[in-house]
Amino acid sequence: MTQPEGQTWPLPRFLRTTAFRLTLLSAGLFALSSFVILALVYAATVGASMNRADASITAEIAQIEARYAAGGASAANRYIVQRSVGGGEFLYLFLDPDRRRLSGNISGLPAAPADAQGRVRFVYDRAPADGAQGGEGRNARGRIAELSGGHRVFVGMDVEEEARFVSNTLNAVLLASALALGLGIISGAVVSRRFSRRLDAINAAARAIKAGRLETRAPRNHTGDDLDELSSNFNAMLDRVEHLMQRMRTAGDSIAHDLRLPLTRLRGRLEGALIDSDDAEAREAALQRAISDVDELLRTFNAVMSLARLQAGERRRAFETLDITALLSDVAELYEPVCEETGLEFACDCPPGLTLLGDRELIAQAVANILDNAVKYTPGGGAVVLRGRRTAAGALEISVTDTGPGIPMEHRARVLERFVRLEKSRSLPGVGLGLSLVQAIAEVHGAALTLDDGPGAVDGHGPGLRIALTFPAGED
Amino acid sequence: MRVLIVEDDREVARNIAKMLRECGHVADTAHDGEDGLALAREGAFDVLIVDRMMPRRDGLSMVAALRAEGDKTPVLILSALGEVDDRVDGLKAGGDDYLVKPYAPSELIARVDALARRRNPDAVKTRLEVGDLQMDLLARTVKRGGEAILLQPREFRLLEFLMRNAGQVVTRTMLLEKVWDYHFDPQTNVIDVHISRLRAKIDKPFSSSMLHTVRGAGYRLQS
Repeated sequence: MTQPEGQTWPLPRFLRTTAFRLTLLSAGLFALSSFVILALVYAATVGASMNRADASITAEIAQIEARYAAGGASAANRYIVQRSVGGGEFLYLFLDPDRRRLSGNISGLPAAPADAQGRVRFVYDRAPADGAQGGEGRNARGRIAELSGGHRVFVGMDVEEEARFVSNTLNAVLLASALALGLGIISGAVVSRRFSRRLDAINAAARAIKAGRLETRAPRNHTGDDLDELSSNFNAMLDRVEHLMQRMRTAGDSIAHDLRLPLTRLRGRLEGALIDSDDAEAREAALQRAISDVDELLRTFNAVMSLARLQAGERRRAFETLDITALLSDVAELYEPVCEETGLEFACDCPPGLTLLGDRELIAQAVANILDNAVKYTPGGGAVVLRGRRTAAGALEISVTDTGPGIPMEHRARVLERFVRLEKSRSLPGVGLGLSLVQAIAEVHGAALTLDDGPGAVDGHGPGLRIALTFPAGED
Repeated sequence: MRVLIVEDDREVARNIAKMLRECGHVADTAHDGEDGLALAREGAFDVLIVDRMMPRRDGLSMVAALRAEGDKTPVLILSALGEVDDRVDGLKAGGDDYLVKPYAPSELIARVDALARRRNPDAVKTRLEVGDLQMDLLARTVKRGGEAILLQPREFRLLEFLMRNAGQVVTRTMLLEKVWDYHFDPQTNVIDVHISRLRAKIDKPFSSSMLHTVRGAGYRLQS
């Protein structure tokens, strides 16, 4: 069977999951580290006992050399014979200068090659007299030494026990590593199954949304673990997107609704001007009105655009430390004549030295919009007060209080929506975006916009309205 | 006055050109930044109107290129981007004024007129004079027909702007931008009230009025 190049072999799904790969990796690392640890243990135990054996062999050779030096070959031979018969732990072989065997408990030199110090590792057959345990091919190590008279001696030592320990240890290491790997694969499979089942659910939610079922949300188990957090963030993001879409839809509807009326009116005026084309004065008047209609449309348009941009949160870059005292007195100066003209008492009350981190243009616009409202809705003889202050909690509060009719409690949330104008205000100029803009500006600055009753109802005035922007402390 | 309109929307360019011609100006058009730059380099224009987003070369880069060559022709940048940062970018690139789309045609004309006047070295003058109205910028005094008029600081700045643009229409938005440095649009007639206060001081006590309302556009100071 040929496999087209570039196509991956269809692995079972759980083998392809991130969780499985991670578990496999950690199992592999675990196997490797258990191998390293056991190798260290091996070096510390087996290695040490081998060194001990080598040291005993060297000492025994020294004994033989001493006897050889004192009493010649016969003394050495006697010693070796005694030791061989004594059934000690050593293996001996004593050779004359012609390499003929003189004595010892092994028949010949080990076949294995010796290293530069004469050390050799080999396998030998122990005499069957040793009983049941005396098997074939036991591991041993030894050393060949050249004696001064040309004789040679070999002293060896049985290290079968140690060798067995080595091979047992090695087997254990390999087994442990294999087990670790195997367990890793199994647990990886289990974990990845569980993990991917939850991820699948989130993916399914994403696919459902892609397919247009926008109300779908990722399932949560409320344990607060990472996947739960992912689901929660995912859902929060979807809520935000849905909210924005909802806003845009509403805005789109409102814009369509609010623009249709002036556009229809405009069309009527232009048509009328066309019909009255012989009455120059009437035509001019109609055209002038048409121009102011268009201006009104442009205003609405620009307001809608700034609102949209504000709500998209594009404007944090222009923040700077603002002298709110100066800013308020500037805006007050802009509005004071209008108030005077409409018979309103106007006051600006702000202690020196108030500062705030914000966007000058936006804050000024927010204050101007609130003042616009106050001036528009407060009947002559009333009063409008612009006030800036630091609250006891350290927040900065900018408020405008008027003595107009106020806004009934049940309508307060609604007036912040785009294009909402309470029935009685329909006749006044404006597009109903003012307070939505203020609200959006407050949001950009992390400030709260609150609507309250004004000073109360007196002499046909009031109860009034108090609109406050509260900027949290520590922002400047 | 000769005006170059660099705007990729041909109909918009045509309409602006038509309006300018009706006001007695000469208007040329280019439809992308490269053509605009080539025409502007010929240097015979009093004002350039440059759209910000255009094919081949955007408006800001075109203006920056001109300024780098030492060309000081006043530039009005047109843009659909109206945030503070956008405006700052536009002015940094070398624009002299910035108008956000959509705008009223009268607004555009008024601003072009104001820019054309700016070429005259008015800024270094210490005295402004329109008819019998005199302003001393150093002593910060205003006289009409030899009679001293006492103005509040803001009224003084308002009048200064009007006098610098005497004979031209200035819009409410221009006043709000140049005199108050606000770029938003108040819903109430705040500017009208300031104008009528100013009028009460510079016109009312005298036989002839100088500060005229231009319907649907703005105001004009004229002797």
